[in-house]
Amino acid sequence: MNGSFRIDIPDTVIARAKRGDLGALETIYRAFERPSYTLALRLLGDAESAREVVHDAMLHLLERIGQFRGDAPLWGWLRQIVVNEALMRLRRERGVAFEELPDDDDTPGTAPPPWMLADARRLEGALAKLPALTRSVLWLYHVEEYTHQEIAAMTGKSVSFSKSQVARGSSRLRDLLEPEEEAAPCLTATAH
Amino acid sequence: MPDRDGTLNTGDALAAALRALPDAAPQPDLWPQLARRLDRRRPRAWRRALPVALAAGVALALWLPHGVLREHRPAAPTAAQVPPAPAAARADDLAELRRRSQALEGWIAAFSAHAPQDSRGLMAAVEIEDLIGLVDVQLDAARGSEDALPLWRQRVALLEELAAVRGNALAVAVRDEDAAPSTRRL
Repeated sequence: MNGSFRIDIPDTVIARAKRGDLGALETIYRAFERPSYTLALRLLGDAESAREVVHDAMLHLLERIGQFRGDAPLWGWLRQIVVNEALMRLRRERGVAFEELPDDDDTPGTAPPPWMLADARRLEGALAKLPALTRSVLWLYHVEEYTHQEIAAMTGKSVSFSKSQVARGSSRLRDLLEPEEEAAPCLTATAH
Repeated sequence: MPDRDGTLNTGDALAAALRALPDAAPQPDLWPQLARRLDRRRPRAWRRALPVALAAGVALALWLPHGVLREHRPAAPTAAQVPPAPAAARADDLAELRRRSQALEGWIAAFSAHAPQDSRGLMAAVEIEDLIGLVDVQLDAARGSEDALPLWRQRVALLEELAAVRGNALAVAVRDEDAAPSTRRL
């Protein structure tokens, strides 16, 4: 289950981490290991890249924790670092111009949306088939609840671009899930 | 969230379906690797003690003659005695910092699209963006303008650094574009 980034770390643990206590640093790492990796995996669609992003993001956070004042949620900062690192990787590895979805006819019918009926494996398979930027925007908007303005700022695109990616991504997901053909997942998240 | 539209129930259903996907953990475990890196960078006791001792020595050397002289002078106000900036002045400063921050963000957004970055530039930019992220979460939690003012100053300074990184990439891109036709002529 996602949406578990909003974890409050006790002040005492943060204070110990600021002093360089490895036990406290590990407590923080363990608390955010899964939400960080899941977010990176959904954005990048590749397990090894996601692992590298989590490594770099955690290192940034834990090395700079001394600069954290403690009156704001630590998770907010870490989540932003993970998103920044993942988007940077997408830009670096796939170029500044991400592959984008063309305009689609997005006219949902009266039937329940197919993602309400699809199992996790099929939904993950369909997500994996979306272009990286579309999938990222969709995830940041729907799951992480970033606004279109925030997404526009993070991706270096416009607000209307973010809105259209959410609409087109949803429409493409619907198309991918509606046919009964078997979709081979390549973004399978293994629960541990 | 100002622009989250509640127009699509299908959107809500999609959000729920995406959130219900299982979490995952990195395999193999990343912690041993991180712990080694963090331990290597942790200051050893003597490394921590040395600068403190040096600073104390310098402070003592500076303070002694002043301390002797001060016996015959009126006491200078300490930092604690300096009155804080009046609220109106703080509000002006905050407004100016916000305006500057907005202008810098606009500049960065406008030029980023035209300035492809090499990976070193990208990493430097992300490093600064991470720190801006930290300032932003702290700004969200700031209580009052007295708290917010130093954070806004920090934010503007970081944005200036980011603008410099982006500006450098833009300069390189322009230079490459200028150089390209003459290269082709050869």
